[in-house]
Amino acid sequence: MKKILEVKNITKIYKMYNNNFDRLKEIFTSKSYHKEFIANQDISFDLFEGETLGIIGVNGAGKSTILKIIAGVVEPTFGKIIRHGRVTALLELGTGFNDQMTGRENILLNGTLIGMTQKECLEKEQEIIEFSELGDYIDEPIMTYSSGMKMRLAFSIAIFSEPQVLIVDEALSVGDAHFAAKCTKALRDRKAKNMSIIYVSHDLNSLKLLCDRAILLNAGEIANEGDVEEVVNSYNFLISKLNDNENKMSIKNADNSSFGTFDVEIKKVTIKGEKSKSDIISSGENIDIAIQIHSDVNISDMTVGVMIRDKFGQDIFGTNTFHYNENIDFKANRDYVCHFQMPLNIGTGKYSITVAVHSKDTHLENCSHWLDNATDFEIAGIIGNYFGGLCRLEPIISFEDMKK
Amino acid sequence: MKHNILLAFSFAKRDFKERYVGTGLGQFWYILSPLVMIFIYTVIFSDFMKMKMNIIDNTYAYSIYLIPGLLAWTSFSTIVMRLNTSFFEKAGLIKKINVPMYTFQISIILTELFTFTIAMIMGIIFLLLVHQPVTLTFLWLIPIMLIQTFFAFGLGVLFSLFTPFFKDMKEIIPIIVQLWFWMTPIIYVKSMIEHKYPMLLIYNPFYYFAEIYQNIFLHSLAPSLSSLIIIVAETIVSVLIAGYLYKKMVPTIKDII
Repeated sequence: MKKILEVKNITKIYKMYNNNFDRLKEIFTSKSYHKEFIANQDISFDLFEGETLGIIGVNGAGKSTILKIIAGVVEPTFGKIIRHGRVTALLELGTGFNDQMTGRENILLNGTLIGMTQKECLEKEQEIIEFSELGDYIDEPIMTYSSGMKMRLAFSIAIFSEPQVLIVDEALSVGDAHFAAKCTKALRDRKAKNMSIIYVSHDLNSLKLLCDRAILLNAGEIANEGDVEEVVNSYNFLISKLNDNENKMSIKNADNSSFGTFDVEIKKVTIKGEKSKSDIISSGENIDIAIQIHSDVNISDMTVGVMIRDKFGQDIFGTNTFHYNENIDFKANRDYVCHFQMPLNIGTGKYSITVAVHSKDTHLENCSHWLDNATDFEIAGIIGNYFGGLCRLEPIISFEDMKK
Repeated sequence: MKHNILLAFSFAKRDFKERYVGTGLGQFWYILSPLVMIFIYTVIFSDFMKMKMNIIDNTYAYSIYLIPGLLAWTSFSTIVMRLNTSFFEKAGLIKKINVPMYTFQISIILTELFTFTIAMIMGIIFLLLVHQPVTLTFLWLIPIMLIQTFFAFGLGVLFSLFTPFFKDMKEIIPIIVQLWFWMTPIIYVKSMIEHKYPMLLIYNPFYYFAEIYQNIFLHSLAPSLSSLIIIVAETIVSVLIAGYLYKKMVPTIKDII
């Protein structure tokens, strides 16, 4: 495969000065007046033709800086970028639009700004207008547009400028589902025509869907590089470390509805994917929900239950030890841990887990502790066959010619 | 490089079209503002104040002296001041799109050169109206106006490079420009100061331009070789220094705007 973009040992150091006069003095003298902030350190990678590369990292990891350097709007301190073709960056949608001018005039304005010639702009104009679905609005001034319409126009111009490399920085998250799907499809079509894409997003699901390869940035350096699944897992691991401290707090958080007699108390609830080792899990992955319980009393015939809810608070799946004929006897001043292990065959999205300790099959009788939102997790990406919706039903599919 | 220059031209074209978009008179304003200026200085100085200048035999002699200097100064100061704040005005754009700053700066001088030309044509029409001879010597205006625009470009870019470091420059430059105007014999004549403050003439780079225009308008006198050498030299120096510092300073400027 042909290399389309070479990023070679890029280091970006932002120098911090007490005042701008010191900064100026340093340009003209050899004396140093600054403190350094390293935004990118020794980043190297190649982008090949037709490849989609994802870049992920926590806030402040240096994603935006490296994108700006690749796009050419920020100069690297060391290292260089070799571009073998037009690089168009959607760093911020609609930069360079003039609000007073009509959409049609802005196609020319924005198009020439991102590197098209006037002739190209005029040739592509009709396609751009059609793709953006703006219809008659194209001859209205941009200031009358909604933000979604502006976004559609900006994206349409960018995609029809036919760059060899397109840099997309979380741009697809705006716009309605219909246009987002259209964008994704357009990106795939361009990709088939050998356009390369650098894609930055916090939406792990779309990353997994679009990207061939991913890079994880942490504190300005490349922490991991390679297969998307693997990189996303190491990203999740990184986040879970960051979240650890917060999680310990959350169990006593006033926001959680927590009630009961507290003679048996739920101390901590964690969820971990078998592969991801964090609370961001692929659909179909085996997980382990661990519930730590402390008992102050001797009590027998108790039940521990879990309920998984989606982001709208709907119950997705719940069960308890009672239904699995598991009778639990607690002894005073002892700690216990209860594991629920299962493959998580549910659709992508964010979920929360509610946990309870009570007697018999429901918490209506003798509820020791009911804890809403004990912890949460996210399903991103799917192992095995793709599916839509909330649950995986594993159909057996056959296809026959009826005349036989 | 070629694409960026072409881009500068299309920006200039657009800037020119857009400036008066939505106004009733539209592009007629480009003609109207120099027209009004010429009218004011003619009526006030020649009719109301009866200012007489006995250099040449024309009732409007003082106006003929005033107009070229004022038009040239207007173009010069507009370019310097527009360039001075250009990095701030385009900050949002150059931080997001890979278009070099000089593209926008070139587009500024292109529009200003165009308005300068229109204004100068108005000035010449005025000369015809007051029966002042217009000769082939007036063709010298073309190269002089071009050189002046490049000089303003060099100076303006030079200032623009320092303005991001010192925001005060935004306020200081217009004041300097105003002081400079009154230190140049544009409103008053050279003979009033040449003995008392000769250095105001010798060390005033703009005076050499002003004198050339005034001589052409009043006497149809072609510029002397020495004055040509001076204006070309100061233009080359200003553009070279600006170009050198531009290369050196722009990466840092991109980090701080």
